[in-house]
Amino acid sequence: MRIRSIYKILVIISLGATACESVRPYQRVYLNDYEMKPGQPGSRKFEEQVHAYREGATGGGSSKGSGGCGCN
Amino acid sequence: MKKRYIAIGLLASSLASFGQRSDSTYRKKKLSATDVQIIMSYYTQDNDHSAVTGGTGTEDLQVYATQFTVDYQTDSLNTFHVDGGLDIISSASTDNIDYVQSSASKTDVRSHLNAGYSRSIRRKGITAGANTGFSIESDYSSFNTGLFFSKINSSQSREISIALQMFFDDLRWGRLHGGKPEKLIYPVELRSVEWFDHYRRTSYNLDLSFYRVINRRMAIGVYPGLAYQSGLLSTPFHRVYFSDRSKRVENLPGDRFKIPIGVQLNTFIGGRWIFRTYYRVYWDNFGIFSNTINLEAAYKMSGRFTVTPFIRIYGQTSADDFKNYGDHDVSEEFYTSDYDLSRFESIKPGVSVRFAPYSGSGPTTFNAIELRYAFYRRSDGMEAHTATLVISYTKVKQKGPRNISNKP
Repeated sequence: MRIRSIYKILVIISLGATACESVRPYQRVYLNDYEMKPGQPGSRKFEEQVHAYREGATGGGSSKGSGGCGCN
Repeated sequence: MKKRYIAIGLLASSLASFGQRSDSTYRKKKLSATDVQIIMSYYTQDNDHSAVTGGTGTEDLQVYATQFTVDYQTDSLNTFHVDGGLDIISSASTDNIDYVQSSASKTDVRSHLNAGYSRSIRRKGITAGANTGFSIESDYSSFNTGLFFSKINSSQSREISIALQMFFDDLRWGRLHGGKPEKLIYPVELRSVEWFDHYRRTSYNLDLSFYRVINRRMAIGVYPGLAYQSGLLSTPFHRVYFSDRSKRVENLPGDRFKIPIGVQLNTFIGGRWIFRTYYRVYWDNFGIFSNTINLEAAYKMSGRFTVTPFIRIYGQTSADDFKNYGDHDVSEEFYTSDYDLSRFESIKPGVSVRFAPYSGSGPTTFNAIELRYAFYRRSDGMEAHTATLVISYTKVKQKGPRNISNKP
């Protein structure tokens, strides 16, 4: 069941990624906004460390991986 | 005849006129930029399932964290990175390792420092780099090193990156008391036994990132990862109580595989709203399977002010070796009562406010100041508050000879 969930997510992503528009540099005013940055920019980083200590899961786009602390 | 003279006149004037003069005094400018970010955070929590006392007892904890990040771009190709910080930790549960209430055992300090370098090959859209660093606290020290590589296409609509980060940890106590790591610290009443004959922990993190622009207002990122840990994965001062009323030190397997996959979709709607949606599924061989959903709705009140309410929902299954206080059987090989590895759901609402004037005088630009608050509640009763302040600015410096003005 879990493998099916992961498979469905990957299929949806690949279908979405194929329907993409070419964006020229002068058309990137929205994409270049700070709030559109990928990952965990700015003040979100510290909370990712809290999650690594208080929860079992790490990684997957988080700024905190496994190791380097007495955390999970 | 008249047309002939006009044509000759036009030809003669075109030979004598010039759109721009060649400026022999022009010098190519080299600019270096330094981005500085300062982060100050405060974290407080409380709960009644401390792993130090076997899954019961106070988890009252405060953390005062300060961190700085400096990215120094010498030119368009080379970037040096330094980050470091200091965390002051006050923990009531740590005081219960030896049941002696003292400020010395209740307070700890964690310091960390990292440095890195990256080099870009602009023609090919490639950036590669390496980093290293360390962190130290009284019961833990860690040395880390890593490599990363990324490639972006010419239109900047697709980017792929890969990063490998390795941590080499030492769990012995005493580092901040006399400067030498001594031994593992067990609960005071269990120190007659040498529970572990090893004190090192090694972690490998392989993180991939696939970023794709979908259209002018939407971009998607996929973040699969793989992590492997080996060595002493137990915490030496965690107690475990058994059904026959005996107690031991926590014992977890010596290997742990983790597979997280995260997906992020950022969308700019209208002229003011940005929706950041994130979903992660996670599995590890400890038996933990989790789902994470994070939703943020940034509203641009003006060109400088942005308010972002957010909510994060998380749920995980229990690790196979976790049981509540007093539920473990003495015949079990691995056992823990650390509620961070138990089955629970959590919710984290919050809000952040960002002021980004991008103003300044001379070469220094004040980029932004951001204040963020989050309330965290776990289904086992834990409640926590986090407040973070981020200040960032950029300094640009011109390198090389200045231009000489070309006055007629």
